[in-house]
Amino acid sequence: MKILIADDSRVMRQIVVRTLRQAGFGDHDLVEAADGQEAFDKATAEKPDLVISDWNMPHMTGIEVLRQLRAAGNNVKFGFVTSECTPEMMTAAEGAGAEFFIVKPFTAERFDEVFAPILG
Amino acid sequence: MSVEVEVNESDLAEMVEQVWESYLDPEGISPLIPTYDENQPSEVHSSVSITGSWSGHVVYACSRAAAQRAAAAFLAMEMDEVSEDDISDTLGELANIVGGNVKAMLPAGAHLSLPQVVLVSESSARYPNAKRISGVYGMWEGEPVSVSMWQSSADNKEEGA
Repeated sequence: MKILIADDSRVMRQIVVRTLRQAGFGDHDLVEAADGQEAFDKATAEKPDLVISDWNMPHMTGIEVLRQLRAAGNNVKFGFVTSECTPEMMTAAEGAGAEFFIVKPFTAERFDEVFAPILG
Repeated sequence: MSVEVEVNESDLAEMVEQVWESYLDPEGISPLIPTYDENQPSEVHSSVSITGSWSGHVVYACSRAAAQRAAAAFLAMEMDEVSEDDISDTLGELANIVGGNVKAMLPAGAHLSLPQVVLVSESSARYPNAKRISGVYGMWEGEPVSVSMWQSSADNKEEGA
């Protein structure tokens, strides 16, 4: 499977990659995006099977990326890894078609719980 | 509008503890030891601003060595391997993580900014029209680290009236 990791922090992208490995999902093909626009572009061009996205990013927020992908008819599995987790955000994410919502700081156990059903 | 801040020092301490457990000290061998000293020195700091139902800043401040150690822990690298960019990125993400968790405890309608990182001490970059309302201060491997909340004065007006 191809996984796109979108976060404007390179350090956080590395932590997500490392945590995926720790949770046993390290053998998937990983692609990275450094802001919302790049996330949208790569989600379209690279055709990933899963997008793991930050919420608060320059150029386009994660929820905007998800909405634009859906508006363009792209139904890639998409979820958020974010430090912000309010009821409104979770409702917005769910309404836009997000599959999961992981709050930073996160653990490998949390990744396993969320991604085992998706990645197998 | 006067908003009761629902985030107190023990909430902040819990968020900080989670950051340590998840990223900075996953093995539980070098915790942040509380000093309760709000005037402890810092050499670098990062912040996120919150506007809306509550307005102010969440600030992460520490020594350069503590910032370098945090970047090394985030990247699973040795301290001498981390670059200046790694340090800035790590500091920004630390403010973002705590700020995001703070926002989650505030009344609905708060907006979180992208992080700002300044490689000078917190004391030389005070936040205009904002006062510190709570903080967690400690030493990590002998180096100062603090996380504090600064409330903008627009929110304080009624308290002084």
